[in-house]
Amino acid sequence: MNAAMSAETVLAATGITKRFGGLVALAEVDLSVGDGEFVALIGPNGAGKSTLLNVLTGLSAPTSGHIVLDGRDVTRLPTHRRIRAGLGRTFQHGRLFPRLSVVENIMVGAANRTGRSESALRRHALAQLGRMGLEHMADQPISALSYGNRRMVELTRVLAGEPRVLLLDEPAAGLNLGEVEDLMARLRAIRAEDRVAVVLIEHNMGMVMRLAERVVVLNFGRRIAEGTPAEVQADPAVLAAYLGEGAAHAGH
Amino acid sequence: MADLIQLLTNGLALGSVYALAAIGFVIVYSATGVVNFAAGQFVMLGTFAGVATLVNAGWPLPVGYAGALALMALFGLLFYAVVYLPLSKSPVVTIIIGTVAIGITLQNAALLTFGSWPFRLVSPVEGMMLEVAGAVIPLHAVAVVVATALLIGLLWLLLNRTALGIAMRAVAQDARTARLMGLRVNALLAFTWVLAALLAGIAGLMLGPMWFADVNMGDPIALKAFAATIIGGFGSLPGAIAGGLFVGLAEVLGASYVSSAYKDLIAFGAMILFLLVRPQGVFGERIQDRG
Amino acid sequence: MRSVLVLAALLLAGLALSFVVSEYTLRLLNMAVIAAVAVVGLNFAFGYAGLISLGHSAFVGLGAYGLAILTTKAGWSPWLAAIPAVAGTGLAAAALGYPLLRLKGHYLALATLGLNVSFGIVAANWIELTGGTNGIAQIPGLTLAGHRIEGERTFLWFGLAVLAVLGLAALAIHASRLGRAMMAVRDDETAAAMTGIDVTGVSVAAFVLSALYAAVAGCLFAVHVHFVSPDDFNVAHAITFLSMLIVGGEGSVAGAIVGAALLTFLPEWLRVLGEGYLAFFGLMMLAILVFLPTGIVGLARRWRRPVRPAASAPGGARPGVQP
Repeated sequence: MNAAMSAETVLAATGITKRFGGLVALAEVDLSVGDGEFVALIGPNGAGKSTLLNVLTGLSAPTSGHIVLDGRDVTRLPTHRRIRAGLGRTFQHGRLFPRLSVVENIMVGAANRTGRSESALRRHALAQLGRMGLEHMADQPISALSYGNRRMVELTRVLAGEPRVLLLDEPAAGLNLGEVEDLMARLRAIRAEDRVAVVLIEHNMGMVMRLAERVVVLNFGRRIAEGTPAEVQADPAVLAAYLGEGAAHAGH
Repeated sequence: MADLIQLLTNGLALGSVYALAAIGFVIVYSATGVVNFAAGQFVMLGTFAGVATLVNAGWPLPVGYAGALALMALFGLLFYAVVYLPLSKSPVVTIIIGTVAIGITLQNAALLTFGSWPFRLVSPVEGMMLEVAGAVIPLHAVAVVVATALLIGLLWLLLNRTALGIAMRAVAQDARTARLMGLRVNALLAFTWVLAALLAGIAGLMLGPMWFADVNMGDPIALKAFAATIIGGFGSLPGAIAGGLFVGLAEVLGASYVSSAYKDLIAFGAMILFLLVRPQGVFGERIQDRG
Repeated sequence: MRSVLVLAALLLAGLALSFVVSEYTLRLLNMAVIAAVAVVGLNFAFGYAGLISLGHSAFVGLGAYGLAILTTKAGWSPWLAAIPAVAGTGLAAAALGYPLLRLKGHYLALATLGLNVSFGIVAANWIELTGGTNGIAQIPGLTLAGHRIEGERTFLWFGLAVLAVLGLAALAIHASRLGRAMMAVRDDETAAAMTGIDVTGVSVAAFVLSALYAAVAGCLFAVHVHFVSPDDFNVAHAITFLSMLIVGGEGSVAGAIVGAALLTFLPEWLRVLGEGYLAFFGLMMLAILVFLPTGIVGLARRWRRPVRPAASAPGGARPGVQP
């Protein structure tokens, strides 16, 4: 619980509350991520997972609470400054820049690492694409890519910014089985090479259980459980959240 | 005091014309999403429809007014078919340029038909004056304000108390759902354009005796209607009315008390100030940033 | 590389024309080149960053009036006067940009339109400084190494040289970090911020760049016509600049130049239709917008590559973001 206090925490959100008018989307949520740690964030639809990502990345201001990235309070910083401070995020359905080619998209992602010349930037982007096995599409327009490849290009773009914490919003949604396996292998490889911490929102439980070191469960904007995948799977509160109140009562 | 009453009446009369132009602009925007930069030319055409029936054809007043409005209704239908339908799926900026382009066509078509010499449109109450607290006020100005108030009342009844108006509002809010509910969306959109053309036509007929009928009058009216819309709140009918009256009063009072050269700077300054400080205007809904 | 060649071809075509056409056509070519400088600038704001500006001719006017006032009232040489005229316009754009560019779409369009109208009112009424509606006359022309840049042909050579430099600069910016950031902002502001792009900063940069080019166009106008008045910079001109960019093909330097040339000459060609030519011009514009939504450059591109590369996997049929 007090991992947020430990020295190697890279991202710590404490007491995050977000209200939209009368609706409480997040209530006093804590989330801490250790350096290089793989955390999964799960919960039923509408639990507040995406809202939490929006608050963490500065797309939406929390009603109360604090966010510390790498020892620095970023609660009031605009999105782009948080990204430059080491945050990276993908979107639920992938958002690329359709007027730029694949390699240019990656170059945009790499540009916040300042001081690289134009040619170094391009080399870096091509190397990132090569690592993901996408170098042959470098000069293609985005419109020529399959959905699965678009999502991989988006992931590459985030990684090109060399984040310390990577926030992934349902990266496997809409991918076929082979693509999901490929994605999981890439994520493992990335962690081994980059020592980047990952916060993964995902509905694919198989993927969560195989990748995550720690799982945080949200329901109705509250954190209802936290632990290893095995612990969370066995938690009655989590079962109740996923199966509905009726099942919980039946269990008693 | 007498001066002030006179100025207020003239300001309100001019403001009524701006308000009608702004209402036509807003109705079209809410229903179709089109930012109609030809809105000023609609009013100009209204004035010249009056010139055609009353001056050129020499019809008697009621017949002439009816004829002018019939021409405007026809024009609204034509605009729907020739301009709106082809442009309806285009990005905002293309629609802006497209309506500007057609505005150029309308202005020059009017120039070809009527020439550049200004006409004088006679008011039904031409030359009649009213004396209030020592101030002499042209009856036409009072009639314009009263007619506008009546018209706004009728418009409110149409939009809130008739099946036609409620269907129009349904289309404005969500055309797809309205279509699924079995509403004849295209007919309703066409009617929206007709209604906007009629309102502009009435504004033009009322403006004719106040200004000279000049084929170049469209652009200044459009600019004032835009300012009125922003100040009142983009997409809001009460906002268009309040904004129109404000712009009219600012123009007349500003010319008299501040400077006739800078009178228009008040309206546009207020418009820019509103855009920067309160872009939703006085009556507009909050612009939400929630995704 | 291809875009540099296209730019060179366009400029060489202008140069070749300068030897064969009449004095009247030379004058129109000069107008087209000056408009092209302004429209290449507008392309930063609208074509790259997606900012709908109907205030562009106010920036042209600021540059022109700056040069006119400094040369006629303070007796500066036009070369020297152009520096503060252009820099001042850039500063004005930066100061206006920060509050203004929080607005989007038609709000920004109407705000910039209001600015342009306000500029016109001030220019027409601040008589001591601007000469009011009478404008400022007798603006001196340019001299280069003892030679006066006078006469339509000589001026056209000079204008083409300026356009070449600014066109190349625009292409360099297009291919730079800033250019990509501007296009990313137009495509998707949220995703752009999520790659570390300062969306407001990049938008203001695009707006300032567009104003700088506009001011250069204004200076060219002043030293070419030797006269400025408020009507030269009204809203109609701002709308014309935007029309030029859309007809030529937004997002492309070549498109900006082609559009500027076409819409300068089209009304003249239509004069053969007689008095109603502007009415026809409006209809023709509407037809171009409806049938050529990507402009002339878009048409050329489609002609060169008739079939788009097909999606490489079945997943490509999924609803994705399309340009």
